[in-house]
Amino acid sequence: MEVENGAAAGGQNGTDAGKGYKLKFCTVCASNQNRSMEAHLRLSQAEYPVISFGTGSLVRLPGPTITQPNVYQFNKTSYDSMYKELEAKDPRLYKNNGILNMLGRNRGVKWGPERWQDWQIGVPRLQHASDRGSEGTEGGVVDVVFTCEERCWDAVIDDLLSRGSPLNRPVHVINVDIKDNHEEAHVGGQGILDLANSLNAAAGKQRDAVGAAAFDSGSASSRASFDEMVPEILGAWQERWPNLPATWTLAWF
Amino acid sequence: MASDGLSLPDQIRQLNDARVLVLGDVKYYPSVVKSILPIIGPASAIELRRWGAEFLAEAFATPALPNGEKETMQPFVLATLESLVENEAEDEQVLRSVIQTAASIYPLAMRWIINNGYDTVTWERMVGIKQRILRTWDQAVPSVKICCIKFAQRVILAQTPSSGAESRYGGALDVSLDKVPPNHQSLDPGHLEAEGMGLLDRMLSVLHESSDALIIDATLNCLSILVRTRPPTANRIINALLNFDPLRLVRSPITPKVKVTVRSTEKTTRLLLIHLAKRDPHNPIVPRIQQHVERTMRMVVEALDETGRKRALENQQHDGLDAKRQRVVPEVVIPPLGPGPHSLADIFSLTETLGLKTFDISQVPPDLITKLAVTTLARIEPQLLIKATNAVRSRLEIVASAPVPELNPNTAPLGVDDDDDDYEPDFFQAEDTEQILNKLDSSPPPSNELATMDAALGLTSFHLPQPQALTPDMALSAGNETVSRVLDLVKSADELSARKIKAGFTRLAASSGVKEPWVTTLIRLATRSEAGIEETTIKGEDESIQTQSLGAHIRDVLYGYIMEDFRKHIDIAVTWLCEEWYNDKLLAKAGDNFPMHYEKCALRLIDGFLPYIHPQDKVITRFLSELPELNRAILSRVKIMCRDPSVVQLALTSLLYLVMMRPPVKEIALDTVQGIWSDYEDARPMAAKYLSKYRPGFVEEATRQLEGDGAVQSTAAPIAT
Repeated sequence: MEVENGAAAGGQNGTDAGKGYKLKFCTVCASNQNRSMEAHLRLSQAEYPVISFGTGSLVRLPGPTITQPNVYQFNKTSYDSMYKELEAKDPRLYKNNGILNMLGRNRGVKWGPERWQDWQIGVPRLQHASDRGSEGTEGGVVDVVFTCEERCWDAVIDDLLSRGSPLNRPVHVINVDIKDNHEEAHVGGQGILDLANSLNAAAGKQRDAVGAAAFDSGSASSRASFDEMVPEILGAWQERWPNLPATWTLAWF
Repeated sequence: MASDGLSLPDQIRQLNDARVLVLGDVKYYPSVVKSILPIIGPASAIELRRWGAEFLAEAFATPALPNGEKETMQPFVLATLESLVENEAEDEQVLRSVIQTAASIYPLAMRWIINNGYDTVTWERMVGIKQRILRTWDQAVPSVKICCIKFAQRVILAQTPSSGAESRYGGALDVSLDKVPPNHQSLDPGHLEAEGMGLLDRMLSVLHESSDALIIDATLNCLSILVRTRPPTANRIINALLNFDPLRLVRSPITPKVKVTVRSTEKTTRLLLIHLAKRDPHNPIVPRIQQHVERTMRMVVEALDETGRKRALENQQHDGLDAKRQRVVPEVVIPPLGPGPHSLADIFSLTETLGLKTFDISQVPPDLITKLAVTTLARIEPQLLIKATNAVRSRLEIVASAPVPELNPNTAPLGVDDDDDDYEPDFFQAEDTEQILNKLDSSPPPSNELATMDAALGLTSFHLPQPQALTPDMALSAGNETVSRVLDLVKSADELSARKIKAGFTRLAASSGVKEPWVTTLIRLATRSEAGIEETTIKGEDESIQTQSLGAHIRDVLYGYIMEDFRKHIDIAVTWLCEEWYNDKLLAKAGDNFPMHYEKCALRLIDGFLPYIHPQDKVITRFLSELPELNRAILSRVKIMCRDPSVVQLALTSLLYLVMMRPPVKEIALDTVQGIWSDYEDARPMAAKYLSKYRPGFVEEATRQLEGDGAVQSTAAPIAT
């Protein structure tokens, strides 16, 4: 009682009750820089709860030559400090190859690149409150994971299998194959947003409909559930986006 | 309750704030959980039930809250969970969350009852929930069903003995059957394990019964930890995985959804198998897993991926601009034959193209023309050929039936000559034969003659000059030369291929390498070629006549070749002698009077190399043992060998080998040993050793005899001096 009152008193600003149901998303690419961040931004602009990760061992950004990449640690370097470092190094080069532009966008989205394998699933993420799309992801879990490359999808699934699914929570893991360049990332971000919208529409509809049905008939067992509809939705989406080959599975957190 | 007077949205908002509080500090969880339980019961509004169930699922899942806390918290929530799950008409969202919560709680509840055996009420309640969930499993909608599967997985995990190897997970994943004491008052390990295995079978049955990718993926994705940490389940699961065929889900028509599901189940299975193989790389099943993975992947790609395939035939025919032309029988227009005169080429030219007509085919090499002609004839359309043949035939008929005014010198227009200036057709026999022949001689070669109809079409006959008569001597020397050349080849092959292929009994005479076939050929040429046609042996025949034959020459050549390095070529010697022996046997069957070569050759060889034998030359042992036939003559040579004391040991060992390994010659061999003993004093100690074993009594008797002789000799000696 006490706690509840205290919470009520301290949480007057919580207003998302009226916004309707939102699926929680997660976007993943290799370095948590280009593709996943583009999608992260898009989804957050559409007011979805979203977080993002990279599955690589290190954050790699192109350098002056192919053998001299700029390499950073995950979780330790912010987009902002990368931006400043590269800007000091060679502003012309990093402006022309779009890296500064990308980092500039990323530092407006969240603090820095996070590594998927280091993500403690289910641990509250309250300290990420300033990240875009953080609202709704406080619980540290998501409903759908979008990866941007087959390799990342494999890494995510392998990692989830290793973790042993202690949370017992289902999660849809969908790969949308996007080439790692700015243009493709842009298109891919649109594709992912389209897919997110379709999935969310189905989930929301089911939630509302089942609620109503539960009130009316008291049983909803005949209705197709959201999870069940994912292959269908993905198939339809694939027809709309034939250049973004997709793979899906239902995994466990 | 504070919530009593509030509207539903306000209540939800309040609950959300409470959640933010516990997320910020997990120590509030127990009190918050306890305080929300009354407002999320089965009688509450659906929004509250959903919220509450979701909150409970989160509370028992979060790694932020220590398992000890969760364990003491679970007895309080079980009653609420039970009441929710028992509600037949419960909302599926609520049901999902409740089952998720139950899955998280099950191992905790088990650990609780293990440590607090008195609290059977809590355990009974948990068992009740479990039974209810397992009953719901079959009828539930897919999104609830997947949670039932996950619940079953946690039950299996808790009720199977663990490997103990992976205790790094900590927490609830480590609760396993070996934590249950054997004499626990309310838990029966045997019963629990049986139930776990039953549930596992039920889970795995999905793989070959369900056609729902969601259910299959949900099952596949929770198997990894079972295989890795619960060994009793591993085999069953891997076998089920290897028997799972994602193509079973292929339905026609292949809709986008079917593609998604098939690809999904295949990829999920593949990743799981690779994941398991990677974590246990030394398991003997790994190669099978890899094979299975690759094969299934290929099959699925073939079944679904039309981008990798060539376009279907229909697509090709739809567009008129196709680069590939259809095969049609070309319309051949036979140009009419113009006014004469016509060359033979004109008549056979069915084309109007000038370039083709003037092409001089005689410039193309004949073998190329042959190839072209054969392939063209093989591929030509039959109707086309018939048409062309008919055209030529009719042309020939026209020419044949045409009046021949041109050929009549009386009517021939003046100044118009035939192509051939040198030849004037004269049907009046104006010239005599001699002149005609002269003209023919000076006319161009026969091929040009064919160019005109007027020329004679007959082929002149050509005779090769008669070769010199082949005398037997020439044939023989040619044969000898060939043999020498073959031997050179053998020698060069000798240097090239040092390594030998050991085929054992399956070896064929001439199956491997360059050397062996040629050696065999030579040997057979020597032994068989003249077998039976050689002159029968006449007593007292001169040796020199025999050396005249090819066979004798080859034998000489072979002998020389073997003697060049008898240690290395001993196998050839054996092969040769075997062939000789065999041939002798064949001849002996045919008649008695043919010359026998085996013994002669064998003795010659032995005599040839014996003087060069070293004490280490085991080849002699081998040679003797491999010879097809041994007789006293051959073994006498071994005896002679003992003149050299250094090879006595070798000679005796070889003989001993024969005694032991070749019973038919045992007696001869022993006689030889005896002979050695008698003849060579140096060899006596060693020979005596063998003889005492195989011919007991001989040595003593012989010694006695010898002593007698010796006495005679010693008495005689002084007389001699």
